[in-house]
Amino acid sequence: MTNKPIPVPAPGTPLSWHLPHPYSTRHLLVVIVLLALLLLTGHRTEMDRMVIMTTQAVGQLLGLSSDSQVVRGLSRVGQSMWPPAITEMEEVNRLPELDRDRLPMFSYVEKRQQTEQRMNLETLQLEAQTETIEVLVKPVGYLWTVFVKMLETLEIAIWGTLLAVLLSAPLAYLAASNYSPRRWTYTLARGTVSFLRSMPELIVALFLVLAYGFGPIAGVLALGLHAAGFLGKFYAEDIENADKKPQEALEAIGAGKLKTLCYGVLPQVVPQYVAYTAYILDRNLRMATVVGLVGAGGIGQELKGRFDMFQYDHVATILIAIFLFVFALDQLSARIRAKLI
Amino acid sequence: MIRFEEFDKAWPDGTLALGNINLEIPRGQFCVVLGPSGAGKSTLLRAVNGLIKPTRGRVMINGAELNISSQRLLRQQVAMIHQHFNLTTRMSVANNVLAGLLPVVSTARALSGWFRPEHRAKACRMLEEVGLAPEHLKRRAGDLSGGQQQRVGVARAFMLNPQIVLADEPVASLDPKISRDILSLIRDAAREHHTTVVCSLHQTDLAREFGDRIVGLRDGAIVFDGAPAEFTDACIHSLYSGAQWETPSEHSDAASTHLTLAHA
Repeated sequence: MTNKPIPVPAPGTPLSWHLPHPYSTRHLLVVIVLLALLLLTGHRTEMDRMVIMTTQAVGQLLGLSSDSQVVRGLSRVGQSMWPPAITEMEEVNRLPELDRDRLPMFSYVEKRQQTEQRMNLETLQLEAQTETIEVLVKPVGYLWTVFVKMLETLEIAIWGTLLAVLLSAPLAYLAASNYSPRRWTYTLARGTVSFLRSMPELIVALFLVLAYGFGPIAGVLALGLHAAGFLGKFYAEDIENADKKPQEALEAIGAGKLKTLCYGVLPQVVPQYVAYTAYILDRNLRMATVVGLVGAGGIGQELKGRFDMFQYDHVATILIAIFLFVFALDQLSARIRAKLI
Repeated sequence: MIRFEEFDKAWPDGTLALGNINLEIPRGQFCVVLGPSGAGKSTLLRAVNGLIKPTRGRVMINGAELNISSQRLLRQQVAMIHQHFNLTTRMSVANNVLAGLLPVVSTARALSGWFRPEHRAKACRMLEEVGLAPEHLKRRAGDLSGGQQQRVGVARAFMLNPQIVLADEPVASLDPKISRDILSLIRDAAREHHTTVVCSLHQTDLAREFGDRIVGLRDGAIVFDGAPAEFTDACIHSLYSGAQWETPSEHSDAASTHLTLAHA
């Protein structure tokens, strides 16, 4: 067998190849235009003012400038947030059914001096009056309230996620271009998924509160519908991008689409599905606190009430609780994921 | 029995993958398809179970034409073994083998994973026949070695007692020792069940050792068809080097074409 040598051009032959630079003046022009657009939108979104105010704040912290609106605002809120509220106090004379011999666990009755501005009807002037009132003090009462509300929020998030998974499973099957039975089912499913995803939870919750009234139903439905849009899209795209080899093997023996999906695709995409679902649960937990603001149940309702009453110490407790819950759930989902992969 | 009748397959861009294939493979034969990469070996195999549709001509299986309406039933008689094993790697070995039964299992059973006891027993027996141990049942298919994965692939292929097994380069990614084991496995299983095997290969020595018949493909045409004994070293050289075959065009009876070689 004779081996042919690799062809090499004779010395002196002009090279017909050409490798251009990676970018040219045209690219530079595009960059300049983009920068100009960025500057314009930056001005419209007050990014310039943001930079100035932040610089002032940093300057004040470093002792360079005398006053900063940002630092003033933050420190005022910060001071009233610390320490976070833990105890709960209620006036005894507002609790007619209180049995003094059998107080709730850990709570006690305390006498307190309270100063109030009252109108003196004779002089028609405001006078400070000090009176002694009895209050029922629950040392960790507010912590307990927050915990119960947080649990309700978690339940809303879990049911919202469950609803999203149930809704998105058929949607994903129809929205995967290689499994959708007809062209129109694909278009319809994709349209539904986009529609659900484009509706913000808060707006949906507003309407659902009108329909179902105050409470967790509106919250669960709002979270579930929005998340179904997300999950439907992600599930469908994973089905489309899954390894084709096992699917081909099952198609070759005529297994049918649904069975091929179950035996050739789903086992392969389980880790991604778990990751998406865990993310949606995490997101729903955060969003469940927000949809409460419009009356859809959970800790959001509590948060909004306290915020409107300027009780920032209570707000601080709620925020810390939300952070701890999200963090704990993160750890948990990381562990579940590690087991399933 | 498989019969190709004036079979053409052209890709959408116009290149001819297979041109005017006339081929008959009788029941129980171990037919090896040889040829350089891109010769159309995979296309020929895939035409047998309808993964590839003909541009012209047709494929007959046991006298029935393979088309859209007959495909679903015919495919149950045609199993396939793949070069890259094509197992669902994250699924257990047991489920991968049971997946070979999916065409005959009800949707409810398939989705719940609740297979009939005789089906489970069959899966165990097949896995035992291909030389795997009971402790492999629950393991993920992707955790097995290449050779073991292909054994699972063979077990899956024989689950439905197929009349035809298509093996698309079943040993291309395995070492020579394991390649020989896998091919013996396919040959023995095929003999036991009187199954026709169409197997594409890259190893000419294995082709001569295992094949009852060798079909040489080049550029989408059959250039050799004969017994392994007739497949000489000169044929190998000619098949892979790009030299011209001199086909006796007067009496080109595909089954008995005897090829002479032009100066290689």
